[in-house]
Amino acid sequence: MSDASQTVKETMAAFLKLPVAQLEDTRILTDLVSDSFLLVQMVIELQEEFGVRLVQEDLKTVKTVQDLTQLLTSRMTPQKPS
Amino acid sequence: MWPWPSTGKRLKMDECTQNQQWILSFYRTSEISGALFFGRLSQTMRPGPIQHDMTKHFADEATHAWYWTDCLARLGLEPLKLGSAYQDQYIAAAGMPVNLMEVLALTQVFEKRVIRQYAIHSQLSELNPVIRETLTRIMDDEKWHIEWIHEALKAMAPDYGQDVIDATLKRFSEADAQVYQNTMVEHAERLQALNGF
Repeated sequence: MSDASQTVKETMAAFLKLPVAQLEDTRILTDLVSDSFLLVQMVIELQEEFGVRLVQEDLKTVKTVQDLTQLLTSRMTPQKPS
Repeated sequence: MWPWPSTGKRLKMDECTQNQQWILSFYRTSEISGALFFGRLSQTMRPGPIQHDMTKHFADEATHAWYWTDCLARLGLEPLKLGSAYQDQYIAAAGMPVNLMEVLALTQVFEKRVIRQYAIHSQLSELNPVIRETLTRIMDDEKWHIEWIHEALKAMAPDYGQDVIDATLKRFSEADAQVYQNTMVEHAERLQALNGF
């Protein structure tokens, strides 16, 4: 797993107040977060944290933890070496 | 207590009270949902002008829920526990907003609907002064809600793109029209019944 994916997972875990180990790649997000608004809040939090912009269309195919981490990491701007 | 003029209209008056109770409870439920929605979102927001205004917005919504609760009490009525708020129907029709711009666009459309609805209610003949006072107080705040969201969306244009914002507003406006047609029928009928009374 890439560093970026791990960071996204850690941010998700912190938001959901869950151990990172519970966020297995295949875990269905709606099983993990039963409250749909909490899920939206988390997605907004992740966008704010990583400077990524997602629209409704982007999330249509997102079902699992891995789907979401992949989507976010694919949209992150690569850091320029200092 | 609602001023009933005579006992001859008791049955119709009871029906009127029920409609009154339902409508005011509907408003109350909607304001509570708004307060909870923005309250939770305010926890997520980064410090800045949007967080500042959003915090005021959710404080207003909570105050409005209190106004309706107090209004019902002053009319001698208890709030009804209604299943879902008007906002829930929006989400069912247009899907959950997934970014801050979509949240604000949805709210903009919703707030405009609220103002229109409150304005229609305030035009009823023989409106109880307690209800009129409550509607007037709330409508003043709602105007500011529309203004701050309008400004926030304008400020988001360079980030999200004006065309994306316009398309989002259009999508939620279409959902609003659908929701209004499908789920506001009961509200409209009850309001009509009050007007005809």
